Amino acid sequence: MPLYEGIGTEKLTVVMDLGAAFTKLGFSGEFAPRHIIRSEVTLKGSNLTREIYSYVNGDDLYDLLVEFLHMIFFKYVLLSPKDKPVIIVESLLCPTIFRETLAKVLFSHYEIYSLLIVPSHLVSLAPLAINTALVVDVGYLETTVIPICHGLPVLHAWQALPLASQAINNKLRKHLHSCNIKISEVKQNIIDDIKVRCCFVTPQRRAIQFLKSNSQLNYCPDLQYPLGGTKIINVPGKIRETVAEFLFEEDNDHQCLSTMVLDSILKVNVDLRVKLAENILLTGGTVMLTGFKARFKEELYKQLNSSRYEKLKLSKFMFHSAPSKDNYTAWLGGAIYGATEVLGMKSITREYYFKESRLPDWPNMKDNSRIQ
Amino acid sequence: MSNYITGPDVVKYACSCGLLKPITRLYFCRHCLELRCGFCVCHEVDSNYCGKCCENLPSAEARLKKNRCGDCYDCPSCKQNLSKRAATVGPKNPEDPKATPRKVYYLLCLNCRWSSRDVGIPDQAAATGSWPERENVHAARLQEIIEMYKGIVLAEKQQKMEKDKKKQRRFMTFTDRTGITASMLRKRIGLPDIPHPLLKPKPKEPEEAVAKEEVEEFPEELLTKPINLNEITTLEQRLNLPEWQPTTVDKLFPIHKQVSVKRSQRCRACEHNVSKPEYSPTSIKFKIQLFAFYHIPEVRIFTVEPLRAGKQCELLLKFSNPTQHQTVITFLPLFPSEDSFASKEIKELVPDEEVPSREIVIEEKQPPSLPGSQPSSLLHTSLSRTPSITVKPRPIKQAITANVELPTSNFVLLPRDDAAEFDDSGDTHNIQDDTKLVVWRKSNKAVIRLNITPLENLNIGDEVVVGFTMQHIYVNTITAVESKEPQRYNNNVKVFQYLGKIVGSE
Repeated sequence: MPLYEGIGTEKLTVVMDLGAAFTKLGFSGEFAPRHIIRSEVTLKGSNLTREIYSYVNGDDLYDLLVEFLHMIFFKYVLLSPKDKPVIIVESLLCPTIFRETLAKVLFSHYEIYSLLIVPSHLVSLAPLAINTALVVDVGYLETTVIPICHGLPVLHAWQALPLASQAINNKLRKHLHSCNIKISEVKQNIIDDIKVRCCFVTPQRRAIQFLKSNSQLNYCPDLQYPLGGTKIINVPGKIRETVAEFLFEEDNDHQCLSTMVLDSILKVNVDLRVKLAENILLTGGTVMLTGFKARFKEELYKQLNSSRYEKLKLSKFMFHSAPSKDNYTAWLGGAIYGATEVLGMKSITREYYFKESRLPDWPNMKDNSRIQ
Repeated sequence: MSNYITGPDVVKYACSCGLLKPITRLYFCRHCLELRCGFCVCHEVDSNYCGKCCENLPSAEARLKKNRCGDCYDCPSCKQNLSKRAATVGPKNPEDPKATPRKVYYLLCLNCRWSSRDVGIPDQAAATGSWPERENVHAARLQEIIEMYKGIVLAEKQQKMEKDKKKQRRFMTFTDRTGITASMLRKRIGLPDIPHPLLKPKPKEPEEAVAKEEVEEFPEELLTKPINLNEITTLEQRLNLPEWQPTTVDKLFPIHKQVSVKRSQRCRACEHNVSKPEYSPTSIKFKIQLFAFYHIPEVRIFTVEPLRAGKQCELLLKFSNPTQHQTVITFLPLFPSEDSFASKEIKELVPDEEVPSREIVIEEKQPPSLPGSQPSSLLHTSLSRTPSITVKPRPIKQAITANVELPTSNFVLLPRDDAAEFDDSGDTHNIQDDTKLVVWRKSNKAVIRLNITPLENLNIGDEVVVGFTMQHIYVNTITAVESKEPQRYNNNVKVFQYLGKIVGSE
């Protein structure tokens, strides 16, 4: 670190959580991210806005990440990345190409000093000061469930389904198409906004009624969403109420959000099952949808009555609420880890990276002797 | 010039990293004599400033204020600047006839008319500072948790160190021989045990969070009552306040304005700056500006005949010399096949009689520096910058769709002279030009003729791209120690022209 940065002052370490839709960024030891921005870049030549996760191959991703991190460092974080440590909060199920390219960009293009990658499910528990819980991350691309037992992620019990924000957005766009013309031209962030402001998850009793053909129930009031000052998007009450229903409807494999949680508990040792059921943590931006948590709980109890989960012998579920907004719980965990000495002890230094030219990863048998 | 701002970029130069960019987006490092671009230089934060009040923030202060200006605010509703408005209100005690009306201030957005009065922020008596700040409600608990984790990790570290220490001990101590330790002795005598001064107390464990059976209740009124979208914040508004993410507009609070940075760019190969702005936020000047536009001859397309596949046509290119030194331009093939290919052919030229001596203007703007010189002794190795990592240049992927008949002769470009505009004394400048090559010439500019042939297999509507290597003589005004003469180099730059589309036959 250069001398002029000041020696006595506390070091600031950048903590980033690069999500598929939003990137949370801030500094270690702080209680909230400084910024939550969309994970997309506007390319200089073509003025085209591209999402980071829309990459076609590694080289494409490299260029996208160079652009995106440049924006992060010089517009938001305002730090020269050279010779600085960086903390990345990342899902254990992150694609290898993404994490390897990210490391390549950080080490060889931005020349950072060291990189600490923390698993998002594990660190989500740090703000709660507990070490055993079932972490349900409902993000943009997918929902992932990983039980954490005594501070260790139980990987063989992981569950993941593409039931998340992106699927809701697609459903919403499709449904709106029937009552609005030219909806396909509306930008993604408008759809996002309609979802956040107009839609909600209805309680279970109403959902059951809606499924019946002779239901007498009225949907919630229709809405008119103003667009660009002159246009209006009609959002019928039916769509507002039922757009997220599919998250709780079993698909052809009899899988949905609630079964994922119970399946995951089933795969864990008997002794830990009750403890996990009584420590459930919901994270990710999608769980902030109005009514989501209440419905999620109802669905868990409903599934418990089915014959599949009889042997679980669970009687109640208990939920944690993190001292943060749900969409940055994992980031907050990373910021807490970053404030400790873990950064110096566990991070991957530049020398190590260039010697190995790869990151240690749990599926790699060289790094993980526990895989048989 | 406007073409460089609005595009499309019809002439591109190949940067040393392999990217093609217009000349205005390139730097030219005078020390390693290579083109650099924003992608392959090392960016650094130079100084922080607030974009609204143009106040310079020292980096320590900016860090303390979380990279935000203390005085300026952004509108939480539309992200524009908030203005401070003054209003007069009645005196504190209206009975007193001598009391003067007071002035109070509030914040107003002139774009969306949001004001601090909308959300119930009390008007302030002073214009600057003193606006109420909000705290994170979980701050105390989170601080406690951070302390706990710090303690745990520190204890772990100490344990590890202790283990290492124990292994190293090879000597017999007194207690080993007698079997009695100091603390045992104290106990036997009946004195209280004093804790070891170096041994820290065990980290305090804050209580674990307790899970609850209840979750956020579903707001039943949502089912029957129509909602007013104007009262609900948009996703962007919520994310602008990541700490609170208010769902209703009455909880929006003004946001401190994020400061901006001035950046300097550094060449990765030689660690010299290629661009460095002046520190003052109000200044738009540079201390160092090694832009390629001021060093490399600029190529523009003058005109081109209609392009037809397989047919030879004429391309007129205009070259202009931005430097104070005369230069000679030679055309070379884009990718030389001979083994003589070297990206940089640094060969010192003997100044010949063609160049009048007055042309060599030695400008000693910078202290002489050598690529191989030792760093200053003031910089201790551990404190100085670590050398940059050079990324392997990527191959140029641009497909060439036309052949150029490269002229064998070269031509001279006169130095740039701002007064030449007003000089009417002929345009020939007594230069013997190859009339086949040079069509027109005036001061530091020349138009040359090239014959190009678009490839046979092109269809109507296909883009025609030609390219060649332009070799020009670059006079480096940074003088080396051993020779006071400015050094002259042959510098090669790959230039690509996007000529347009193939048209049909006549």
